Amino acid sequence: MFGLSPQEVQMIINGVGETLYMTVVATLFGYVFGLPWGIILTVTNKDGIHPNRGIYRTLDVITNIMRSIPFLILLILVIPITKMIVGKTYGSTATIVPLVISAAPFIARMVETSLNEVDHGVIEAAQSMGANNFQIITKILLGEGKISLIAGATITIGTILGYSAMAGTVGGGGLGDIAIRYGYYRYQANILWITVILLVVLVQIFQLIGSLISAKLDKRHI
Amino acid sequence: MGMPIIEVKELYKTFETKDRTVEALKNINFSVEPGDIYGIIGMSGAGKSTLVRCLNFLEVPTKGAVIVEGNNLGELTPPALRELRSSIGMIFQSFNLLMQSNVLDNVCFPLTIHGMSKREARKKAVGLLKTVGLEDKANAFPAQLSGGQQQRVAIARALACDPKILLCDEATSALDPQTTHQILELLRQINQETGITIIIITHSMNVVREICHNVAIVEKGEIVEDGLVEDIFTHPKSRAAKRLIVEGKDPDYYDEVQADNLSPEIVDTLKEDRRIRIVYSTNSSYEPVIANMILNFSEPVNILYAATKDVAGVARGEMILGLSRNPETAERQIAYLEERGLAVEDITDMGWPIEGGRSY
Repeated sequence: MFGLSPQEVQMIINGVGETLYMTVVATLFGYVFGLPWGIILTVTNKDGIHPNRGIYRTLDVITNIMRSIPFLILLILVIPITKMIVGKTYGSTATIVPLVISAAPFIARMVETSLNEVDHGVIEAAQSMGANNFQIITKILLGEGKISLIAGATITIGTILGYSAMAGTVGGGGLGDIAIRYGYYRYQANILWITVILLVVLVQIFQLIGSLISAKLDKRHI
Repeated sequence: MGMPIIEVKELYKTFETKDRTVEALKNINFSVEPGDIYGIIGMSGAGKSTLVRCLNFLEVPTKGAVIVEGNNLGELTPPALRELRSSIGMIFQSFNLLMQSNVLDNVCFPLTIHGMSKREARKKAVGLLKTVGLEDKANAFPAQLSGGQQQRVAIARALACDPKILLCDEATSALDPQTTHQILELLRQINQETGITIIIITHSMNVVREICHNVAIVEKGEIVEDGLVEDIFTHPKSRAAKRLIVEGKDPDYYDEVQADNLSPEIVDTLKEDRRIRIVYSTNSSYEPVIANMILNFSEPVNILYAATKDVAGVARGEMILGLSRNPETAERQIAYLEERGLAVEDITDMGWPIEGGRSY
């Protein structure tokens, strides 16, 4: 098939698996850090439900600094941390560490933007009923903002998929790794193209799933 | 008179912006009796929305006290304040429903956040939806409802915790006159059935006239006049009250002279007239005053507007007259009307709604 040996086919199938593994796990861990981070940014903002200039400015600056480091450079910068957590610096599990570090501030910004879109009037209504800040976060901000959060997650997963492919340049595993080693170093154009097509297809699938979930859950347009 | 349910004492609210301080509310004093429907009316920017938010401490006043059922809100701990808020319902101009939750869950929301089980909350919510006439919409989402229906859901939600007070912040301003009327009727009915105290914030004299017993008129952050709606409608003292009543955002006003076929010359002529507004009780047997006045002075009088209006449940006649060009005769005409016990307001210097089109 496409002039590939059975071993090469198997390698590409494994590559898809590794890419999915890195993307999904990194997104999940990204949200473990990024979601609370984004919530704190929203809540402590001057128009938030618990304004705190000190906390907001600190997190805001950290977010900006981390967001401005290009992923490839971050990948190298955090090698000591990766080694500490995973025990090695190559392969797909090791790549998850820089992916999470890079994704978390990105996710925080996405979450912040989504939650800021929630109608302030609804928050005010909840306050008028005596809701506390925790209830406002869980029931109003996350509940009313969920469609926008899902849209953000869809964009995030596409971005992380792209980053995971980039990690291929330093032996990160997955489709990016295959594209570099076979397509670039060995001039196997067919493998290069197949990996590119597979990456495109994966992004499309994630986007489609995200859009479907959003449309299914959104009660604003019926 | 018993103890007021809400007491506002020497309340001030200032907002600090980058380069200046804005005094949104200045020395506000008023109290509301239990079971009253109390209107707070003012033009936009008068500070009435800030004022209503001070009543449940969504805005914390800069100075002064808000006392609700004997509780000074400024002295409550945050949890105690949140608890007290469950006895003060609030509805808004933009309804502020949870768009991702269905009608039933919207009404359940205030109940569950105060610890009621989901099952009990649902049972209670169904009853509340019946009260507002939406029992068949329990599973609908707000986006599927009309504005009036959404406001009904908001009312059901505001009543969920059996509040003693309901704050309405421009609650009918986004609705058409027909729907406004229905919502006001519903509020009146709830007031009569439960004895709930209702505070109505509005810019529309029609709303105040239709439902409120007492009213405070707010202008530039101050209460310039307050009292019984009937008294203020009959005899507005402050300029703000006159403006709200005469120029007011009242779509009915001047409909008669709004006709497109009025030439600019006629409008100019009308503008020069000495104009007065008289209010009379329609069920009082009274002589044909206007006709007699015309006969008496042998001068025509221009009837610019006449209507019968429901003022706090009482029918009131209202007329706007263009008097004689002769200032002396006009003076004597006014005296003539006043002698016959009519409330007369000179509104010559009031704006003429034809000019800028209808501003409501």
